[in-house]
Amino acid sequence: MPVSVVLLFCFAAAVIALFVGFRVQLTRSREGKILAFVALFALPVMAAWTGFSEQMDRATSTQFCLSCHVMSDFGKTLYIDDPSYIPARHFQNNRIPRDHACYTCHTEYTMFGGVKAKARGLQHLWVQYIRGAPKPEAIKLYQPFPNSECLHCHLGARRFEEGSAHNKVPDLLSRVKANKLSCVSSGCHEFVHDVASLKDDTFWKEKQ
Amino acid sequence: METVERKIRWASFLIGAGLLVQLAALWIVHPLAFMGFLMIGCPLVLAGIVMYLLSLIHEKGPEAR
Repeated sequence: MPVSVVLLFCFAAAVIALFVGFRVQLTRSREGKILAFVALFALPVMAAWTGFSEQMDRATSTQFCLSCHVMSDFGKTLYIDDPSYIPARHFQNNRIPRDHACYTCHTEYTMFGGVKAKARGLQHLWVQYIRGAPKPEAIKLYQPFPNSECLHCHLGARRFEEGSAHNKVPDLLSRVKANKLSCVSSGCHEFVHDVASLKDDTFWKEKQ
Repeated sequence: METVERKIRWASFLIGAGLLVQLAALWIVHPLAFMGFLMIGCPLVLAGIVMYLLSLIHEKGPEAR
């Protein structure tokens, strides 16, 4: 649903609810009771639900993740003009949806992956506003990046399964699939969000 | 004004305030807006709805009046 519709719906629901509050004597009649039910139950539930669903969707957007100052350098790494940088390569070539770039790679594709990501987001808010945010280069993952996030898209892809680099060693692919050999920290695809070296990097400028 | 009407009025103000907070939170894309939506907007709307439903329970039927 477009945001403008959600905003309009919320506004209309608020106006109708307040109207009933200012003209409460209307609720003495049968029609007034129906109006009160719609204004004070049906519409608020629907408006809150559409707003909630919009907020949950928005919380997965790149704009949302990068709205905290500490994350802006991580956003810049998506534009590094070097294909050896995995996030940049994925972002610039539309291998991930650009408007949901962070969430696509940093959520677990499990039943409660989304819930866990939201819980971590709350923790990040606590760190950002209460405990004090660390420097961008000091930010690390809670645990090594799991291969399952990469395999979510790459598993079964011809280039992944049959690529020469992935078949140099006989058991390499099976170790990758079993998460025994990390895609990003084993020396194969190690250039990720290298925020410390940003000042030396050149950046891709998208043609309009 | 009857007690029930007073409750309905309070319920409508709570819901209206909650929805306006939600509206403001939807205007901005920021984690704090998200938290405002969840921690202020939603509880206000929920409190208003509960108050309205309670007013229905406590309303006297025509025979009792």
